[in-house]
Amino acid sequence: MIFRAVEDADLIRRAARGSVEAYNLLVSRWEKRVYNYLLRLTRHREDALDLTQDVFLKAYQNLRKLDDPERFAPWLYRIAHNEAYSLFRKRRPESESEEVAAEATETGINVAGSSVFPIELSLAVAAALDRLSPDQREAVVLKHYQGFKFEEMAEILECPVSTVKSRLYTALELLKAELAPIKGVS
Amino acid sequence: MSCSPFDLREYFYRELADPQRGQVEAHVKTCQSCREELDRLRLTETALFALREEEIPQRIAFVSDPVFEPSPWRRALSAFWNSGARLGFASAVMLSTALVVFALHRPAPAPVVNVAPAPAQTVAAAAPGLTDAEVQVRIDAAVTKAVVGVEARQKAQLEQVKADLDGARQRLLLASQEFDYNSKRQGAHYVTTGVVAPPGVGEPK
Repeated sequence: MIFRAVEDADLIRRAARGSVEAYNLLVSRWEKRVYNYLLRLTRHREDALDLTQDVFLKAYQNLRKLDDPERFAPWLYRIAHNEAYSLFRKRRPESESEEVAAEATETGINVAGSSVFPIELSLAVAAALDRLSPDQREAVVLKHYQGFKFEEMAEILECPVSTVKSRLYTALELLKAELAPIKGVS
Repeated sequence: MSCSPFDLREYFYRELADPQRGQVEAHVKTCQSCREELDRLRLTETALFALREEEIPQRIAFVSDPVFEPSPWRRALSAFWNSGARLGFASAVMLSTALVVFALHRPAPAPVVNVAPAPAQTVAAAAPGLTDAEVQVRIDAAVTKAVVGVEARQKAQLEQVKADLDGARQRLLLASQEFDYNSKRQGAHYVTTGVVAPPGVGEPK
């Protein structure tokens, strides 16, 4: 008997053939990452949770259209991106960034009780991310928190790699100006 | 502005190939400003990680309900129609099958019959052991018989055509006589009634 780790591609193939158990296992592997990605985008926990459920439901319904199981991650995040922006369009057809920024400053996404990083730093990071434009923030989230390559980001955001780099580098300059001194001091 | 041979940020994000990474690393060892820039990038990323991932407040799980599950047949049909590659393959298979069936059931070409030498071969084959003179006599008799038959058929056809022509001529004569008779009768009618010609409808009298 040979034991080997069940890979995502195996689960995707089984789920595409109708195995709900396999799909649930796949969801359990990805739900936290997708939820956090949507949380950074929406900055609202309930919205992020609702969107995460919608994303996995839509992914299940369209799983048979995924030709290459190895491309599951960018494909899933593409769905998540579309769902988030669909919500933005429904709620804030004109200017989404200012209103949400105000809400986020009040609520604040933080990691309370962290002994490694002081709470001031996490608040500063949240505030610095809030000051970025939605495109720049999404680029930072996809690169720094989700670890995607430039090409995968371009696939998720449906834009050229050069645009991805431009957004990310601009955001990085802003974050560097705000965060590097704080960390250096602390 | 960085003086690195390649973009420091791409190096920082591990987007460079190994040879390029090596060049950047060699450069950074000797360049104070690039080293400081790289340090700032690392500090920024470390600061960003202060914002850690949150646990999802509610786990997501799907329940399989047979009522809402499409049947295997419907799933297969849906998968078939949603896949261009499968449709293309099916079309190719159908076309190949049609070609094979056509090739197997194509009618054989009509055999070529050599008419001219047939009588001699037939006679020779039918009666082996006859001399050439006897064969020639038989051929002559057969040819004579065939010629007589053809002439008789032609004569009969000629007679038939002649009879048909006579019949047609008789019918034409009868029609001509009838036409003459009718013309005379119409003239006599106009004379007895005193009318030159009958008026048409709507014409002034």
